Amino acid sequence: MRVLVVGVGAVGARAVRQLVESDDVDQVVVVDVDPVRQAAVVEASGDKAIAGADRDVADAVLLAGPPGTHADLAGHHLAAGRPVVSTSDSIDDVTALLDLDAEARIRELPVVVGAAFSPGYSCLLARHAARSFDDVTEVHVARSGTGGPACARQHHAALTGQALDWRDGGWQRRPAGSGRELCWFPDPVGGQDCYRAELPDALLLVPVFPGIERVTARLAANRRDRFSAHLPMLRKPHPEGLVGAVRVEVRGQRNGQSDTLVLGALDRPAVAAGATATLALRWALAGRVPAGAAGLGALADPIPFLVALAGDGIKAAVFQGGS
Amino acid sequence: MALLRRALIALGLAGIIAAVLRLRGSGGTPPQQGGWRELSGPDLE
Repeated sequence: MRVLVVGVGAVGARAVRQLVESDDVDQVVVVDVDPVRQAAVVEASGDKAIAGADRDVADAVLLAGPPGTHADLAGHHLAAGRPVVSTSDSIDDVTALLDLDAEARIRELPVVVGAAFSPGYSCLLARHAARSFDDVTEVHVARSGTGGPACARQHHAALTGQALDWRDGGWQRRPAGSGRELCWFPDPVGGQDCYRAELPDALLLVPVFPGIERVTARLAANRRDRFSAHLPMLRKPHPEGLVGAVRVEVRGQRNGQSDTLVLGALDRPAVAAGATATLALRWALAGRVPAGAAGLGALADPIPFLVALAGDGIKAAVFQGGS
Repeated sequence: MALLRRALIALGLAGIIAAVLRLRGSGGTPPQQGGWRELSGPDLE
């Protein structure tokens, strides 16, 4: 199998590293707008990796470039009959990718949208948590930390604009940076103030849970982040963030009573995103992802996916014993 | 005198902005008990 990886920043480079080590992948075509970075990743990834172009022929395509570049490329590769996996967490990208659903179903190909840490792994946690409920009424996602520079820029931009929440059967736009809530992530991240932000999680989760009442997504930020969100970034983004975390709170009915289940995960966001995207691509190649454009929450059974990621060190946790 | 007045106004405005940033939002209460436990084996079934 020959796969194409477009964008080799912190997430894409890790995906390439994992793909060249996969027995089911024969060749990885590496593409990046930065020729120096592209050459460096090719050189560091062994004989299976070669440099290429973003419209090269392949058996499957992983889009890990900056936001705004995914929809056009996904449309091109889908039309050419290739499964596509995207790591973008931009609302515009996710909306455009989900619009490819009809074409993907006709072509019987998957377009996996938001296959990263959050969204992506968080969608799997929501799906897994929901299995223990008779009826799911609310899903609330929060995330802390960033991957590489592109992720840090997206984090900065997400705190401005409009957050997209699902509430009582309709979409509701609220100012990003509002709605502070103290969320508790797995240790050592611990308690973080989280705010509404321009995140696509609700777009991916609402179709998974028909009839759900509320879906929200929040981003951990400090006061400096919020204060400077409307300004250009005050300093150059770091090459890669520190440890990050996701937290998914699912509420619903269980045995006739209201209940809440909180799942989370802790890892370096770029590492977890790279592993999630890589596995999604391998599953898409193997025909284990249903046709259509959707997030990972659309997997009928998330357990094998979570177990496989746990084997890569990306482990879920449950909050227990809270009152 | 004008400089002093402007400095005081600037300090006052900064204080008001800081107070708004600090006080806005509902915050939350830290969990008083419980903790995170890794999911493995039978939990992932």
